[in-house]
Amino acid sequence: MMIGGGPAGQERPARLLLVDDDSNLLVLLAEQLRDDGYDVATARDGVEALRRLEGGWPDLAIIDMMMPRLDGLSLAREIKARADLPIIVLSAIDAADSKAELLDEVAEDYVTKPYHYPELRARINRVLRRLGDRLPGQRVVLGPALVLELHRRSATVNGVAVVLTPIESRLLYALAANLGQTVATETLLLRGWADTEDADPSYVWVSMRRLRTKVEVDPNHPRHLVTVRGVGYRLEVEPT
Amino acid sequence: MSGSGLRVRITIAVMVAALLPVGAFGLLLLASGSAGAVTLVLTALVVAALVGLAVGGLLVGGIVGPLRALEARLDRITAGERVEPLPQLPDDELGRLAERQEELAADLGRRNRQVARAVDAITAWAPADGAAVLLERAATDAREALGLIDARIVLGDPDAIEIEERVPGEPRPVSADLLSGRDMAGVLLGHAPATMRWEPADQDLLELFAASVAVALRDAELLARVEQQNARLVALDAEKDDFLRGISHNLQTPLARIRAYADQLAAEAEAAAAVAAAAVEAGADSGAGARTAGASGEPDRRPAIIAEQSERLSRMVRQLLTVSRLDSGVLRPVAEVFALGPRVRRAWEALGAGEVPFELVDEAGGWLALADPDQVDQVLWALLDNAVKYGGGAAVRVRVALDAAAGQVAVTVADEGPGISDADREQLFARYARGGRTEERDGTGLGLYVGRALARANGGELALEPPSPGSRTSARLGAGAGAAFTLALLAEAPTEG
Repeated sequence: MMIGGGPAGQERPARLLLVDDDSNLLVLLAEQLRDDGYDVATARDGVEALRRLEGGWPDLAIIDMMMPRLDGLSLAREIKARADLPIIVLSAIDAADSKAELLDEVAEDYVTKPYHYPELRARINRVLRRLGDRLPGQRVVLGPALVLELHRRSATVNGVAVVLTPIESRLLYALAANLGQTVATETLLLRGWADTEDADPSYVWVSMRRLRTKVEVDPNHPRHLVTVRGVGYRLEVEPT
Repeated sequence: MSGSGLRVRITIAVMVAALLPVGAFGLLLLASGSAGAVTLVLTALVVAALVGLAVGGLLVGGIVGPLRALEARLDRITAGERVEPLPQLPDDELGRLAERQEELAADLGRRNRQVARAVDAITAWAPADGAAVLLERAATDAREALGLIDARIVLGDPDAIEIEERVPGEPRPVSADLLSGRDMAGVLLGHAPATMRWEPADQDLLELFAASVAVALRDAELLARVEQQNARLVALDAEKDDFLRGISHNLQTPLARIRAYADQLAAEAEAAAAVAAAAVEAGADSGAGARTAGASGEPDRRPAIIAEQSERLSRMVRQLLTVSRLDSGVLRPVAEVFALGPRVRRAWEALGAGEVPFELVDEAGGWLALADPDQVDQVLWALLDNAVKYGGGAAVRVRVALDAAAGQVAVTVADEGPGISDADREQLFARYARGGRTEERDGTGLGLYVGRALARANGGELALEPPSPGSRTSARLGAGAGAAFTLALLAEAPTEG
């Protein structure tokens, strides 16, 4: 994947930092990613990873959860404390694990081991694609009754905290990055389901309907999540 | 004694006292035979009777009136009403009676207040405060509620605790055992003011208070023990979670390595097969290709099989982890939307049972399931894996159906295995249950147990279809009888909204 914004607008390969104490896997995965055109740096533990970061920031870090010296979660927290670098956690922990909740704080995504390489690559690309989407801040206030806190995968609706799923969070992220503008259904599909081959626009439709029941005070008369029929969706700030 | 009875008796007594001397004098006068004696005696008797009546009336008024007032006052005290102090009464029997009544009312009022304070104190104790805090509070409460000079609680065997002797003129030492059921926890010790009368009722109240302290202490200790055990259980659970996480990591890491290398080898085999096929076509000898591809140019399946089997192992490890989470009640499904048909197809491909015929009929009409995709994958994998294991190589048939009215999509996985006996049907979803049809098979015996739990955690259901008339009657077990499991999940229509 190429990232824009280089000298004179030239595109450059995405820079990845890969951190895993399993050196065999590290070398193999780095090779696979390099073959796919990424610029890959590797580190065998958290301490080495932090040293590498001093030499320059990658576009994305892929971190193993369980490592000696500095574990993945602590490393991810260290990184996030320094800069908003997107992180994918590679871990034997699955979504139902209690520690998975902690990952939500620090990781954009996580992939469970043993991973399927094409799936991992799709997730890397999805996160990199989101680099173009920048939110004005961690809290997006859309009105007196709705505040989004997407880094925590949550929203506050009428003072009540609502938990968002990872995909809902991604969709809202894409919409919030383009506040007041219509985002095409196809774009949302790519943001939400880049790693799902058979996803079609109905995934977006149904997810948006469900999102409305979560974030709108009256889902039948939405004030924030607006459908632009046949085109896409728009996130609006409620006029005061 | 009623007031009217007393009144009559006093009046009669006074009248008798007045009439008796007059009557005796009259009899003597009549015996002397004096003229006009009869008239005189009769007059004297009438006068004596009248005087007796008047004096009796006065006496009755002076005695019965105050007695009635005292009786009414006693009724009010008994009813728990507050009464005004009596006016100053003469120093006679009535006065003393009233004084005693006054003291009784005061004592009763004091005890009522003590009981109320004791009850307030006892109800304010909370086992969660802990035994130490409770002991301190209970001693203070005993002092304040029972009007003692000081109070303290000494824990231990009451027989071993020294009880102070009473010294006249000094504050009175009081004590009561902390008795809860048959257990003696200690003694409540204190001093009552020397001026305070320590009646049996006061001792009773002290003992009641001490018994309540003993009960509260026992509750606090029990709660502390329960909390300690809870904390220990939480710690053990966390340790178990850590242990399982470690085991999982240690198993999944080499599996990840195997999987990655196998994928790489499979990709190389595919490339080599393409080269070999091209070489065959060109009629040239394909040295490199021949190593990883068959003479026909077909890619070597072995790396793919290694990948599939490592995936299979990995799923079994995950299944064990899921069981542990079921035990802890922390499944945390994250519901997303997805089409069930393609998910079934992918699960089948991941199973690597290419030699078994597979048929998928998708009649979901585009409806999307609402469930945790990873957890649904686990259920599908278990169902398909079972169908392959017990199908004896016969076709596995899957149908995805829509129940729009119920807002559900359901996937039914049917095999053509030997079927399931009625006895096994009952046990099939129990943990480690395998039933007669699984004795000689591999696996964890957890697939259906985990599958049903996951389905339910996602608001759905996993059930074994009843034997239909024909091939799946339980009476006709044997090759081809077959079994069908249906996983039903919540779903939504694919309409733009």
